[in-house]
Amino acid sequence: MCQWCMKHGAGGKWYMNARNYSNELADSIQAREYLTEQWKNFEQVYIRKVMGISSIDLGYKLQMPIIGKVLRWQVEKMIHSDAKGRNPTRADGHFGQVIPLEDAKAILGNLAAEPIIENYCMCRWMQRGIKEACCINFGNLSGVIEKLPRFIPKNNVYKLDREEAIKRLEMHNRKGYVASVWFQPVPYINAICSCENPECGGLRLRNDFGLHTIYKAEYVVQIDAEACNGCALCVAKCQFGALRFIPSLKRVMVDAEKCWGCGVCRHMCRQDALKIVPREAVPAARGRF
Amino acid sequence: MGSPKVRVDYSKCGEKGKVDPRNCGKCLRACDPAIFIMHEPVGVDQDYIDPQMWRITPVWLSLCTRCMKCVEVCPEKAITVD
Repeated sequence: MCQWCMKHGAGGKWYMNARNYSNELADSIQAREYLTEQWKNFEQVYIRKVMGISSIDLGYKLQMPIIGKVLRWQVEKMIHSDAKGRNPTRADGHFGQVIPLEDAKAILGNLAAEPIIENYCMCRWMQRGIKEACCINFGNLSGVIEKLPRFIPKNNVYKLDREEAIKRLEMHNRKGYVASVWFQPVPYINAICSCENPECGGLRLRNDFGLHTIYKAEYVVQIDAEACNGCALCVAKCQFGALRFIPSLKRVMVDAEKCWGCGVCRHMCRQDALKIVPREAVPAARGRF
Repeated sequence: MGSPKVRVDYSKCGEKGKVDPRNCGKCLRACDPAIFIMHEPVGVDQDYIDPQMWRITPVWLSLCTRCMKCVEVCPEKAITVD
């Protein structure tokens, strides 16, 4: 299990620990106030200056000699901060992990604190200017988002019971959107997103700049080479380029180093050739979050 | 060798421009690596419960491939790439 499971998992995965979803925890860290400050102008997060530096041309800034290393160290500290007086407008303490559909369903079915809502995804708005209702939020975050009209879906159907939330999540997963669960701020959990890479801010910062805003799942995908008929429909679904069709062998392979274990590829396979297994069971993937 | 210098002319597109980026957003969608971000302008006083003033800024400049699709697609010719 990853380091966050060790620290916040109470013996299990961090996102399966009921305490991290509780209203008591939220109150003890003043989550409502924090989330209000974070979300009211969240879209500015890459433009605002932090210690005199904004995210504009972050790639270049992180490559600068010495200053680049200092900047990276500082940003990683902010991302994972559980300190008092951490800054909500920088989204300090906001990071997450990819989860397969099963884990997301278990969270929505048993752990997420109601009310559960589904609102427009802020990342897709910032990156693509589109309004897509696929961000499932819960706990204290629901009340915060409800006060911000730009996130509320036009048809006003955004309050979901557990069953509805699970149905919607499965629909997004089948589209190939990667389910992810988030500390916001650590250790309080109040969001399950359905992400695209790199439209998702977390996936962007991780995959394009190596910042640990989001971690690979506790699983990886394995393919049964005998069962695979080489239709390659799964390959198009992988947001991480972990699936490759081998023309000479007429079948698909999974790159265990690239696989994030989201499992959305499985929805395409009619041969049932794709399965998820625990990350530690695959030597190439073990411990590589 | 630094990143391409991509610039948006805020006098053409933005809270002071002819076009409200929320009604257009063509560059956001034309750019394959998605280097543009739509955001509330920093330092401009406005209501953050329902902000009406927005801009689009090229942010992930190191990922720009100089394909020029943004320059072509902008109806106000607000974007320049060096």
